[in-house]
Amino acid sequence: MRLDEMRTHATSEVVDAVVIGTGAGGAPILARLAAAGLSVVALEAGSNSEPGDHTADELEAADIYWMDDRLSAGEMPEVFGSNNSGRGVGGAMLHWGAFCPRPDARDLALRSTTGAGVDWPLAHAELVPYLAEVERFLSVSGPATYPWDDTRSYALPPVARNAPAQAMARGCEAVGLTATDAPVGLVTRDVHQEHWGLRQACVNCGSCHQGCRNGSKASMDATYLPLAVAWGAEIRPDSMVTGMERDEHGRITAVVYRRDGVEHRQRCRAVFLCGGGVETPRLLLNLGLANSSGQVGRNYMAHVATQVWGRFEDEMRMNRGYPSSLITEDLLRPDGADFAGGYLVQSLGVQPVTLATSLARGGELWGDRLVDLLEDYTHLAGIGINGECLPHESNRLVLTDEVDAHGLRRARVDFGRGDNEDAIDAHAEATMREVWEAAGARDVFTIPRSAHTLGTCRMGPDADSAVVDADCRAFDVDNLWICDSSVFPSSLAANPALTIMALALRTADRFLAGTPRP
Amino acid sequence: MVLLHGLGCSARTWRHLVHELDDELDCVALDLPGHGEESGSDALTVAQMVETVLEQVAELLRVRRPRAWVLAGHSMGGKVATLVAAAAEAGRPGLTPPAALVLVASSPLGVEPMEESKRAQMIGWRADGELSEQDAAEFVDANTADALPADDRAEAVADVRRVSRTAWLAWLERGSLEDWSGTGPVRTSTLVVAGGADGDLGADAQRRLVLPAVAATEVVEVPGAAHLGMLEQPAALAELVRDHLHWTLPPPDLPPGLAALLASDRVSARTRRVLLRRLAPPRPHEQVLSDAQRATLVAVVARVLPQRATDVDLADRIEADLAAGVGDGWRFADLPDDVAAWRAGLDTLAGRPGGFAELDDDAQDAVLADVVAGQVGSANAGHLSTEQMTLWFEDVRAAVVRTWVSHPAAMARIGYDGFANGGDGARKQGYLRVGAGEREPWQTLPLEVLA
Ligand SMILES: Cc1cc2nc3c(=O)[nH]c(=O)nc-3n(C[C@H](O)[C@H](O)[C@H](O)COP(=O)(O)OP(=O)(O)OC[C@H]3O[C@@H](n4cnc5c(N)ncnc54)[C@H](O)[C@@H]3O)c2cc1C
Ligand code: SF4
Repeated sequence: MRLDEMRTHATSEVVDAVVIGTGAGGAPILARLAAAGLSVVALEAGSNSEPGDHTADELEAADIYWMDDRLSAGEMPEVFGSNNSGRGVGGAMLHWGAFCPRPDARDLALRSTTGAGVDWPLAHAELVPYLAEVERFLSVSGPATYPWDDTRSYALPPVARNAPAQAMARGCEAVGLTATDAPVGLVTRDVHQEHWGLRQACVNCGSCHQGCRNGSKASMDATYLPLAVAWGAEIRPDSMVTGMERDEHGRITAVVYRRDGVEHRQRCRAVFLCGGGVETPRLLLNLGLANSSGQVGRNYMAHVATQVWGRFEDEMRMNRGYPSSLITEDLLRPDGADFAGGYLVQSLGVQPVTLATSLARGGELWGDRLVDLLEDYTHLAGIGINGECLPHESNRLVLTDEVDAHGLRRARVDFGRGDNEDAIDAHAEATMREVWEAAGARDVFTIPRSAHTLGTCRMGPDADSAVVDADCRAFDVDNLWICDSSVFPSSLAANPALTIMALALRTADRFLAGTPRP
Repeated sequence: MVLLHGLGCSARTWRHLVHELDDELDCVALDLPGHGEESGSDALTVAQMVETVLEQVAELLRVRRPRAWVLAGHSMGGKVATLVAAAAEAGRPGLTPPAALVLVASSPLGVEPMEESKRAQMIGWRADGELSEQDAAEFVDANTADALPADDRAEAVADVRRVSRTAWLAWLERGSLEDWSGTGPVRTSTLVVAGGADGDLGADAQRRLVLPAVAATEVVEVPGAAHLGMLEQPAALAELVRDHLHWTLPPPDLPPGLAALLASDRVSARTRRVLLRRLAPPRPHEQVLSDAQRATLVAVVARVLPQRATDVDLADRIEADLAAGVGDGWRFADLPDDVAAWRAGLDTLAGRPGGFAELDDDAQDAVLADVVAGQVGSANAGHLSTEQMTLWFEDVRAAVVRTWVSHPAAMARIGYDGFANGGDGARKQGYLRVGAGEREPWQTLPLEVLA
């Protein structure tokens, strides 16, 4: 995005706020604070780019992922890199899949309704206006009427159904499930995005995960960040935050960062840490900050993201088209389920390197069976879920003794599933197999997977059990706010980005209102 | 390779470079209108020079039928070359776009930076027609870092004097001042070279004025050269050209259907560059594996991904990636760093009773199945435990499939054409047809030739 005419601030100037990270959490906050007239500087570890700079090539697209090593352990070690990270002006939203469901009200009250998991310390109703505002601002496309929420409508028509979506529609209908066009964070018509320019209508290229090259997708660098810059925010790319300076009261007085190998410190009145579910806790643990609860890094959650695949007689060529154009929310609370929470199902178009890697890792495939499947690429299609993952104490992020190029200790993430996740996984696999077979798939097989990095700096009612309060303000540090996927107290079945953005706007509003600590 | 010289030079200015490269490339250096043997020509405007070259290249392609061609331009010839490449990209009958563009101390498409006094002086040299030996020598010396060897210098001086007066003035008074920067940017993968000791057209000017017009991300400086790099440092320049072409020239066995798709405007310059680079064998790299480890790797790779119609050197590429430290953003906490893990994993396989590489296919498959099942491992130093072997073999599978599937030959084999989902135009093509059983006319992969 264009940064050449933005307002700049001296590092010696005490700016109102520093925002660390420019993804789903950081970008909306930056825009909101700037629009309120505050002086704000964003520090982003990754580089700046233009949409046209992205490439459809899956390996080359690594330049928008966080490729510095993370260590994975546990029963189901997490796959990071291209699966679960982002880095750049725009964060992981540069390559998010743009699948944009709202969180279900029941999921925010999981504990009180099911006895499992935890409740969010804020009401769903409080989020709704923010969800709607984000959808409007990003021009989310979707069906004219939404079967599971009659209050909702989408301004732009739905994105084209590709071959996997057609198959899923067929299969769902056959087994009696309602499915519809997915709400998607992209424009299906040319839209002029204020302060940025023309977001061209989606051309069905299928490369969302490699970065959208024509601004169709609601990347932060085509939406909230240009808005922020127009209101006077400054974005400093290639600036990795490595420290914070504090006064005798423990308040942060400056954020220390490295750019081009040189250390700088930006003085500030408040800090918004939005580095994502892995980098945020890693930084806090490295700095020994905001962790009197001992909760930083704990309750790492990753959605159950099981996929079911099959071979179709027709050519599917599933890399074509927006990848996940069909959704069903019918399974958010399936009848007779033996688990808490539920899951969403989406159709899947997956690029070949990503698919092959899943087959080889989670699918444990190799040899002729692997080659048979890969050579059938044009006939394969899948469906997958995004399902509730309960917080578990043993799933956590800790620091190792290895250090990165900035001298920060590397993160190790231990992850495994509990009974509830296993039950969701089993239910989903059975349902999806049924749908896929009804759709005409042959040689149906399953790939266990998980997705998204959540928890690790949970939001909660008190300083003993949580890192931040319901306003996303750190209990321990008066002028530190954390707002990204790390504050989720429970995972919710919905894919996280829309919720993070809504939460970000709310956090900024609470900060601006100077709401006293509850 | 077609070579276009600069003002005051001629085809023979390139001869040392051509000598360096002619084992690998069929080089044709042209005399531009008004220069060398063409001093009688009156096609002296930039547009006319471009047109002349386009015709000559079309003729060369028709007669010599190369599998690809490359265009090089120096100084004034660089401006002409860039415009020729742009015209070829725009689609001229009989002309494929060049596979690469090489620009040496090139004049920019826009107005050439030159001090007015210098311009006036050079125009003044031809005030009364002939160029004096002394002025020509001053011109040559001013354009070199150190004096050229006597023969080269004499020839260069003679070339300057051979330029027709009208050609000399046409460039200085018009051509160099014409702003063509509205053309382009050129999508052809470009090598931009600057002489470390060049003046007005040195690295800084190249970066500011030439880079934006071409598909290149950096300017490469040649030390010990000023403006006449091909005479001053021909070996160094040849090495740069060789290196650039290694990544950009399509390999000889690229199936024509795939070559045409890669060359088409559905593929962005960046993606094309990446895929062509991947088609070339990996560059020489540090050997991080021992011969024995490499032999085991070759055997493992062949079992993980038995190639049927392609012949990608997977093991070599994997070793190259290991040597270059190409990771995927994470690793198993229970494994050491990548190089150590691969060495240890391969040693563990080779060290098991019966070894690995020497087994037949079925026996190897059985061993690998045991690895997955957690039954192969050793407690010896430098080896992996059974649990580690299971994890490591997961990494092996991922690396092998990633290396294979990302290779254009594999893409062609499996029928994947997603790399051609949008070029660099203002509107990306994407896909018009996305439903099951529908194909667009251009979708010809998988190629029968590979099947
Ligand atoms: C491949 C992929 C597909 C996805 N698809 C979807 C989808 O379809 N729908 C959906 O809802 N969600 C999706 N997600 C998830 C979504 O992208 C993330 O949940 C969301 O972007 C998280 O927002 P965040 O603000 O927490 O972190 P991020 O968006 O990751 O942003 C964090 C930013 O902080 C920067 N940063 C971190 N540490 C530092 C530091 N120390 N100093 C400076 N900067 C720092 C990082 O570089 C990064 O840019 C997807 C994610 C991936 C990886
Ligand atoms: S499918 Fe649409 S939204 Fe996704 S990258 Fe392509 S044009 Fe952008």
